[in-house]
Amino acid sequence: MNGNDIAYLIGRVSLKDRKAFATLYDRSAPKLFGVCLRILRDRSEAEDALQDVYVKIWQRADRYVASQANPLAWLAAIARNHAIDVVRTRRPVATDIDEAYDVADALMTPEEAVVIRSEGRRIDRCMQELASERASAVRRAYIEGLSYEELAEIHGVPLNTMRTWLRRSLLKLRECMSR
Amino acid sequence: MTAPDKDMRDPRRDEVIAGEYVLGVLSAEDRRKVEARLARDRQFAAIVNRWEENLSTFNDDYEALQPPPRVFSAVEQRILGAAPPDAAFSGKVAGGFWNSLALWRALAFASLAVTAGLAFSLSALLAPRPTSGGRLVADMSGENAAINLVARYDETNGALRVTPIAAGKEKEKSLELWLVVDGKSPVSLGVLPQTGEGELAVPADMRGNLVQGAVFAVSIEPFGGSPTGHATGPVIASGTARFE
Repeated sequence: MNGNDIAYLIGRVSLKDRKAFATLYDRSAPKLFGVCLRILRDRSEAEDALQDVYVKIWQRADRYVASQANPLAWLAAIARNHAIDVVRTRRPVATDIDEAYDVADALMTPEEAVVIRSEGRRIDRCMQELASERASAVRRAYIEGLSYEELAEIHGVPLNTMRTWLRRSLLKLRECMSR
Repeated sequence: MTAPDKDMRDPRRDEVIAGEYVLGVLSAEDRRKVEARLARDRQFAAIVNRWEENLSTFNDDYEALQPPPRVFSAVEQRILGAAPPDAAFSGKVAGGFWNSLALWRALAFASLAVTAGLAFSLSALLAPRPTSGGRLVADMSGENAAINLVARYDETNGALRVTPIAAGKEKEKSLELWLVVDGKSPVSLGVLPQTGEGELAVPADMRGNLVQGAVFAVSIEPFGGSPTGHATGPVIASGTARFE
């Protein structure tokens, strides 16, 4: 599956080209189905989700062209986000965005402006800099769309510990990738 | 432990929230909050997009499995039954359209064929002011880019305008602008001038379609525009119109 081909097809879909949409589906649906299955862990739900995902792709193809993202990553993000939305509705978890964050280890000084560069170090190298259990938590959170509660249970740690693990790991990864 | 001042835009907090969003660990309510912010905060959206790009390496772990045929049939059913567009704001659209719909901000210039990024030099714009006054123009081009950008700076009013032109030999390609209205085939609004002026006259019978939510797209066509009346070349820019 050539990235350029996929990008071209998405561009055509933004023009409501149904033939290009069918081709795009043929090429990408198996992977996105795999995403839905992995996160939803239920075949029938995954099939319904996949349907919703491709309707979104049809409706939002113009946003891809504007985003300049990797086309496969863009498609996968739509699938992951949708599947995670389904899971979070099905099994609600506690809201915590407004609570105090314990990010006391200042890994980045507050004065540093956020410089958004599209080039960054590959995450693989940076993942190796994390303790293996933290890296595994990060990876599993992403791939399986797990909540903090589920991750805490899997790793046998308190909820707040898992929150701190992931938040610090995210900051360390960002710092590593910005070097 | 004291709660951090929420008004302080702590870049670490934004990185963490963005990362948590992409990982998928946030609650449904928090995901909605993040998505609401994404729609209005470009800097934050860039942070989220960067996480998505970085973490996308993990996508290799997902398996590919053939979905049953009924899924695509169901998708087709749903997209065929697209609702008709809202009533046109035709009274407000004519004339002031190019300003009020902020066309050039709705379109982003992304070339699907570019492997190296667009590199440009604005040295012409930064040169000392010419005593004769008038407009400064810079051509921005990239290696293997499908489009070039022309920047025009009018020092009398400080306006900088950047518009795309087709790259390649003179009279080789044109950029054609399309309007996509729900449920219908894309309609050509014409070929963009290679001088970078970016102004087209919209036929009177089409003005009713230039509404919020209409999708514009630019494709690369043979010089003079598509010979078939349909977009034949790659789509390099696409966006949804909105009122400013």
